[in-house]
Amino acid sequence: MATLAKEIGAPPAKRKGSRLRRRENLYGYLFLTPWLLGFFGLFIGPGLVSLYLSLTKYDVLAPPQFIGAANYVKMFTDDELFWPSLWRTFYFAGLSVPLGIFGSMFLAILLNMKLKGVGFYRTLFFMPSLVPLVASVVLWKWLLNTDFGIVNQFLGDMGVENPPGWFSDRRWAIPSLISLRLWAGIGGTQMIIFLAGLQGIPDSLYDAAAIDGANAWQRVRHVTIPLLTPTIFFNTVLGIIGALQTFAAAFVATEGGPGFATWFFSLHIWKHAFDYWNMGYASALAWFFAIIVIALTIVQMQLSKRWVFYYGE
Amino acid sequence: MTTSSATSGESSGAPTLIRPIDHSYSRARRRQQRISKGIAYVLLAITGLFFAFPLYWTASSSLQTWQELRSFTPHLVPEVPQWGNYAQVFETVPFARWLLNSFLIIAITIPGTVITSTMTAYSFARFNFVGKNVWFILMLGTMMIPSTVTLIPQYLLFFKLKLINTYVPLTIGSWLGGSAFMIFLLRQFLMSIPRDLDEAATLDGAGPFRILWQVLVPLMKPALTTVAILQFLTEWNDFFAPFIYLNRMELFTAAVGMRFFQFLPLESADPRDHLLMASAAIMTLPVLLLFAVAQRYFISGVVLSGLKA
Repeated sequence: MATLAKEIGAPPAKRKGSRLRRRENLYGYLFLTPWLLGFFGLFIGPGLVSLYLSLTKYDVLAPPQFIGAANYVKMFTDDELFWPSLWRTFYFAGLSVPLGIFGSMFLAILLNMKLKGVGFYRTLFFMPSLVPLVASVVLWKWLLNTDFGIVNQFLGDMGVENPPGWFSDRRWAIPSLISLRLWAGIGGTQMIIFLAGLQGIPDSLYDAAAIDGANAWQRVRHVTIPLLTPTIFFNTVLGIIGALQTFAAAFVATEGGPGFATWFFSLHIWKHAFDYWNMGYASALAWFFAIIVIALTIVQMQLSKRWVFYYGE
Repeated sequence: MTTSSATSGESSGAPTLIRPIDHSYSRARRRQQRISKGIAYVLLAITGLFFAFPLYWTASSSLQTWQELRSFTPHLVPEVPQWGNYAQVFETVPFARWLLNSFLIIAITIPGTVITSTMTAYSFARFNFVGKNVWFILMLGTMMIPSTVTLIPQYLLFFKLKLINTYVPLTIGSWLGGSAFMIFLLRQFLMSIPRDLDEAATLDGAGPFRILWQVLVPLMKPALTTVAILQFLTEWNDFFAPFIYLNRMELFTAAVGMRFFQFLPLESADPRDHLLMASAAIMTLPVLLLFAVAQRYFISGVVLSGLKA
């Protein structure tokens, strides 16, 4: 954040005439107007309304009824799906984000090795990320179909006696979603961002390492990875925010099932808001969730000072 | 970000006047390099297969009969390509209508995002107004907040305004600045354009509007194309918002319609895997076409010019 603030630009210089300053303010805010309207109308306003609703009982038909912190007490003590859905969300994000980062970085390093045909492979890796999410869920459900899916038919041919039921098996449902996410995600924008990061590493560093006798693995370990840490950090922060909010994949694939196995927190919020019309309780869940996500992001930013390395600063 | 320099890595064995001091060492090094390249090619091929097969399988399954798909020996290639499956998708569900709805939303939101995020980016990049840093940090902060927090009150607002089952809730945001990510992208791009151009235009008597429209926008074309493509992909993919705001079948977008198609009771009880795969292929096709004509905006540095900060 420090570099950002530096870059935003100095405050208006004192020596400039006040007419000029007035002009800067006038046009600055003029061009900012649409965004400001959206920021207050669609973001701050609704956010505050939702904070208020979280302290009420509101079913849309009757006016909201103030009940203090009761919704927050209820979620911790009297909602049997609260902790399981939170745990499942973190289980999914905790596995899919590191695997995704590792996969994207691996592919980017592979593509950056100056091999023949990398243009072709880069396009190939990128293509799954173009498949619309709902379409890729339908495809994945078909590939992993218990009885007729090609994966299980292949496993059967290999002599696997009881291939997993994938999306219809409580234990395998989340791993199935993770495999879908990896296929659809690791070759996409995240990999492209890593490639850009790799191409920003000066060759002279590799040459210096080679002269010092570093082998290929040591060059990756001691040159590539340290210099990629800003990219890893960027992808991790955005990856976690995205993974924690997963809704469409789980909803379209399994509707949170089987037996609530993929009942992620966003499904829990959706169910209370738009199926039970408990708008007050759902707002409390949403606020609790927002605080967790914000806290996690802030913690990551603090921790990043210990492991993210900015070359040339 | 061109990767055409495939040959440049092989120049280590060029003849030089000074002989390498340790022959055996450099030969070992070259052999080691050849082995690691061999391994890399094998890894490329394996991962390539992992990415390509599901795509191939979509196309292949969409051209088979359901009896073929449900036989116990998988047919990698359809016996007779069933092009009729595609026609059947359009006959079974109003898929054409859903695709048109998606395109309509895209047609409304692309100009909105392009225009209003350019304005916002211009403001942040070129004017030193009071409170700029605070607004900028707040704008980046919006990326952190889960959308569910604002969704419920937004829904209630549109509900009170009787705008459920219209496209207003789905499109209004794009006309009010669009997404923080795109604003950031455009702002970074604008920062890379020298201010001298603005100043020269100012001396010629141009005001901020004319500078933006006649000087900067023509230079921003690659970044604006990227933003338009990102907006297309976002709307084409979006599931949650249309799913919440639309509950009449004829208003569905393609993404919501496809999910609906999975469970829709049909007259015939036959399995519909082949039709679902055909609809998945239909939904993917426009994106692939866009990618084919505008590939460089997807995977080139243009997209990333903003991220290097």
